[in-house]
Amino acid sequence: MTIGRIRRGERGYPALLGQIPDPPASLWIRGDVDPALLGETSVAIVGARACSGYGRSVARLLASGAAAAGAVVVSGLARGIDGEAHRGALAARGATIAVLGCGIDRDYPAAHAELARAIVAAGGLVVSEYEPGVEPAPWRFPARNRIIAGLAAATVVVEARERSGALISADFALEDGRDVLAVPGEITSTLSAGANALLRQGATPATCVGDVLEALGLDPRAPGGDVPDDPGSAAVLAALAAGAGAGTADELARATGLAAGDLAAALALLELAGAVAVEEGVVRSTIAR
Amino acid sequence: MLGRAVTFALVGLEPRRVEVEAHLRSGQQPSFSIVGLADRACQEAKHRVRSGVHSALLKWPERVITVNLAPAALRKEGTGFDLAIALTLLAASEQVPAVRLAQHACIGQLGLDGRVRPVAGMLAAAEGAARAGIERVLCPAESAGEAALAGVEAIGVRHLAEAVGYLLGHDAIEPAAAGESRRAGAQLPDLGDVRGQERGRRALELAAAGAHNLLLAGPPGTGKTMLARRLPSILPALSPEGALEVTRIHSIAGTLPPGSGLVAEPPFRAPHHGASAAAVVGGGVVPRPGEVSLAHRGVLLLDELPEFPRSVLEALRQPLEDGVVSVARVGGRALFPARFRLVATMNLCPCGGRGDSRIECTCTPARVSAYRDRVSRALLDRFDLVVAMPRPRAEELASSSAEQSATVRERVREAASRLDHETPRRRPSASELLDRAVDRLPLSGRGRARVARVARTIAALAGSAEVLPEHVAEALSYRSPAELSRS
Repeated sequence: MTIGRIRRGERGYPALLGQIPDPPASLWIRGDVDPALLGETSVAIVGARACSGYGRSVARLLASGAAAAGAVVVSGLARGIDGEAHRGALAARGATIAVLGCGIDRDYPAAHAELARAIVAAGGLVVSEYEPGVEPAPWRFPARNRIIAGLAAATVVVEARERSGALISADFALEDGRDVLAVPGEITSTLSAGANALLRQGATPATCVGDVLEALGLDPRAPGGDVPDDPGSAAVLAALAAGAGAGTADELARATGLAAGDLAAALALLELAGAVAVEEGVVRSTIAR
Repeated sequence: MLGRAVTFALVGLEPRRVEVEAHLRSGQQPSFSIVGLADRACQEAKHRVRSGVHSALLKWPERVITVNLAPAALRKEGTGFDLAIALTLLAASEQVPAVRLAQHACIGQLGLDGRVRPVAGMLAAAEGAARAGIERVLCPAESAGEAALAGVEAIGVRHLAEAVGYLLGHDAIEPAAAGESRRAGAQLPDLGDVRGQERGRRALELAAAGAHNLLLAGPPGTGKTMLARRLPSILPALSPEGALEVTRIHSIAGTLPPGSGLVAEPPFRAPHHGASAAAVVGGGVVPRPGEVSLAHRGVLLLDELPEFPRSVLEALRQPLEDGVVSVARVGGRALFPARFRLVATMNLCPCGGRGDSRIECTCTPARVSAYRDRVSRALLDRFDLVVAMPRPRAEELASSSAEQSATVRERVREAASRLDHETPRRRPSASELLDRAVDRLPLSGRGRARVARVARTIAALAGSAEVLPEHVAEALSYRSPAELSRS
């Protein structure tokens, strides 16, 4: 793997990152790529590693919406929300930046080695302040989070427990004077406690892609792909909109009156068009309101 | 003096002709030895045969007795040679007519009281006799119906004395009629008991019609196992040759109740996750069919799939691919057919909270991925149908009454026979959709083939001569979801 390096003060060192109290002395960059991406309008989408299906689909929805509108999605390549944010951006054929908390040559977590390759292949960046060979260590992750927050114009916390690393990113963003957004969660779920606490402290609620784009000063773009308009798909979308935006296949079958087979066909077409996401048997609408 | 009889040994399912010869000669010390690679159980035949002959009030030849089991290179295992050995001795000592004995194959175990007991693998042994041109088989009375399935004259005897009386022509014994087939259908749990679960029921129907493997994933208590156990009730009855094949395997495994005839219903096996690889796949010193072979042409249910040892799951891949288990032995290879529908269930995480909106999952991501990693991607790839069964947030509405198994089974039968006769061809627009899906979704080459296969089954169930785009679309919805192969 070829590895590049930009020192602070050199051309290409991202201006926003230079403004934080403790900017890294240099940024290592994986691959032989143009680091110009570092200077583009970007949004950090972060959250818990142990997240719910709701959290995953929201991370994906916001990331793909932001990427489709031209924003670069920055996250930490971790499991859970981070991974979904990167994947959402890739799905929208957008660019995304993964910031590592270990040496630039390390794939951590190992399960996301393939994702890291896909990010670079799609014209994105994998960056780190650590030289090759540095092991991942717990105390390096908060330091990594300051870079995530520092690169982005706004930070969106999707799902976080009360003492989550994502909240550290939010704190850095506040210190840096950037916008902080939080996705409201169920008040009974400990998974959402951190994000809801941020909202109570005055963070901007991220209730749709538009909220994120507004914080970035970008114009929303129509969702990519053609949403199928056959009666089956329309019935499914209507049922999802009438419900909580989510439902199991059986609930949708009853709401739409479609037979299980016809419903399955409609769901597959909607999923193919990117209009719904299915995870662990729960169907969620991913069309930005 | 020399006596001869014919019997059959089994190597796997394969019958091998065994000639039993007895030689009697005078000697100072009467003795009895068996040669010809006889195993322990077979050596013990000496005691059973001697007591049996005495109990039948026949004369034990007080001579130097040598019994040879030929071919000498084939390992003789088990107790099925007893009857042949006893009758050979009696022929050598001129107590039964040798010519008449030579017209029969003799298979059966002897009790110390001379009773003739059933042995495993009767059907396969009788088929060996039929193939060797031996028309009559002397066998235990309980197994006569089973032996008659092979198309031989099965002469069922209860006691050694009865066999002798028959061979001497004192008593006539009517050849047994082929065993009646059992229809267990009435006792099978019915699909009518399952409320809701429209998607799960649909997948079950597809699995039945197209012989697809099905994985049901969801939190505990959503009815995964209940649904899986109802798959046998919607499978069509076995074809005549299929029934023979299944009966043969179950006969060898000794899982047939005595006196039962042809197994006409597809078998259902549900080994516990504590079962060893040998028990599931088959094998052992004496090669025996494992659960995969006992499920041949039927259903193998692996409940809580990730709880099975990795070695067992990996050993499943060969039979899933080839439809046959091959056990290498010194005396050759034993082949057991193992073409079954695999139905497996699993939770979405170790604590079972995932997919259940009422409980919060307490598993760390590392634990979840360790749990899911227990089922290798290669094995996951063998499931044509993967269905998540989340807990419904609202209580199931007691909607229209659920369909009974008999109704579904009729549809399955029609679709299966349609698939047998003519494979529906894909319309170009359906192929386009499949190409688009491969392009947009994480779908491997093998995944594409799986979707195409399921789409054919959907078309057959719909009574369509062609695979239409909606069939491909539905098939796509049963592909293995990304979350099971990553975390």
